[in-house]
Amino acid sequence: MNLPGSGILVRVSRSAEMDHVIAETATMRLVKMAVLAFQLAGCEYQPPVGDQTCLGYLPRVADSSQGTLHAPSSLQPQSSQRPIGFSPSSSSGRPPPSSPSPDDFAHLPSPPYNVARDSPRLAALHARLSLPTRFPVETLQRCLVDASADPSPDFNNASLALLGGDLLAYHVAEHVLCRYPRLPMAVLFAAQYAYVGPAVLSQLRQEWGVELAAAPGGEVDPGLLVALRVEPGTDLSRRVGTGRPNEEKHNWRRGMPSRIVYDDEFGDLKGRAASLVKSPPPGGSDGASTLPVSEPTPVTVEEASTSFVRAVVGAMYLHCGRISTLRFIYNHVLSRALDFSSLFSFTSPRRDLVRLCDREDFDPPVARLISETGRHSRHPVFVVGIYSGRDKLGEGAGGSLNEARTRAAVAALKGWYLYSPMEVTVPSSVEGSDKDKKWIPNYVDPGEVIV
Amino acid sequence: MPVSAIRTITKNQNGVGAFILQCKRIDFHYCDWEGSSKGMRSFLRSRLADFARANPAIEINVSPRPRKQPILRGVYVNGRDKQICVRNMEPTQIIKKCELLRDASGEPLRRDTKPVKSINESVRGVWSPYHGAQFKI
Repeated sequence: MNLPGSGILVRVSRSAEMDHVIAETATMRLVKMAVLAFQLAGCEYQPPVGDQTCLGYLPRVADSSQGTLHAPSSLQPQSSQRPIGFSPSSSSGRPPPSSPSPDDFAHLPSPPYNVARDSPRLAALHARLSLPTRFPVETLQRCLVDASADPSPDFNNASLALLGGDLLAYHVAEHVLCRYPRLPMAVLFAAQYAYVGPAVLSQLRQEWGVELAAAPGGEVDPGLLVALRVEPGTDLSRRVGTGRPNEEKHNWRRGMPSRIVYDDEFGDLKGRAASLVKSPPPGGSDGASTLPVSEPTPVTVEEASTSFVRAVVGAMYLHCGRISTLRFIYNHVLSRALDFSSLFSFTSPRRDLVRLCDREDFDPPVARLISETGRHSRHPVFVVGIYSGRDKLGEGAGGSLNEARTRAAVAALKGWYLYSPMEVTVPSSVEGSDKDKKWIPNYVDPGEVIV
Repeated sequence: MPVSAIRTITKNQNGVGAFILQCKRIDFHYCDWEGSSKGMRSFLRSRLADFARANPAIEINVSPRPRKQPILRGVYVNGRDKQICVRNMEPTQIIKKCELLRDASGEPLRRDTKPVKSINESVRGVWSPYHGAQFKI
């Protein structure tokens, strides 16, 4: 019944049969990723032997360059405790396979250094950050290993992050302090937090296109940030190891002077969250076994991102030197936009202004009405200026006389605190061999108004 | 407390200082057999290496997708992605699509009614009726 109106259409033709046969017998292969890594040409710089960034990958280069580089075996990292991937110097004696499967590294806590060169993700990150060729991808891979994933200091980024954190804090502090010498301490902490705080470094990690691995392990892609994350719902408010004398009194007030002495560069408590630090087992007085070094503490994504960005800066300093690091910090951190006047919060600006004028021997501030409209209407507007003698210190507009006067006082105080010298010489710009730059001392302010 | 501080974070201005290419990965999917992938297969053989070499900041993944149309998928640092179907396209057309993915920011397309955007305060300031010469009748 193969009629056009019957609804049954059977196509019998030679080409249809052939198409069908070919379609059925198409060679099916396993779906696999083909990876193109062109980006690695010219990145063959090796750090000096004994350098703390030397990861022990010198023998590999020595093999490829017919023995021109010979690293003494005593300077290699102690790989006896732990196999480092397929190192040619391992005692097994077999030649390294050309493409080891990632499952071979599943027993390691973090990816081994010698897979770093095969990762297109890592190479793309290297190129995306415009890192110089002297910055090896192996070190970049080490920067991506948090101490919570791999407790061994030879393979995690803790040492690099310590150096990079100090460099970032110093350069941001001198940048802010020299440009705004009158900033109060609280605002200085807030500015430091705004430039290199954990929140902004975490965002920087995201903007650099770095993703986190789900869980640490040797088989993960070397281009992913590896960290052991905290369980959701963990209480992170109480901290231990802060260095403060009465740290168990967690609700005590912390004043500014004590923050300068005890706390970190943002005025926050040092130390770790109390719920994450494993308390030593009771009665554990049996010597070295109670040392909390080998037990990895989980971290938040923000902490892992912070240590990654800091480690990149630290590694930059070690491999590429001071000038490159300064440029890197300027390009990625200091070039971001920050409105300093939005950092202030005054509780009693008029009183502060009176104290300031008293301290600086100005005439006492007087508020005068400059202009007004619609005093008896629904929306009056008053423009009030604050004068000291004949000088107008600030001006503000508001819906009531009181509001306008307060706004004027805030404007006057911000005008004082946000003074910025025209010419600034930051101390780090005259360091080193740059002789043609002359040190011009910066303005130093007596400090904020104490009420 | 004479003055306290409000915590905020700095705002990224990509290109002021460092420039980060927003496209971080392009996936190329093709089929070994279908005719719609003919141009894509030719592109992968002849043009992709040059494209990858010219754009080292982009991770390039090539994988077969049997019996499906060939597609390009760009992944961006803001977490979004953009797919383009390149069926029946010539290699010259595909390279145009690759450049489109490379140059995109990853943000969804939207119509810009105001061509200039700035986070800086206006230099001229906001006009105020209470300042300057007052109009008198």
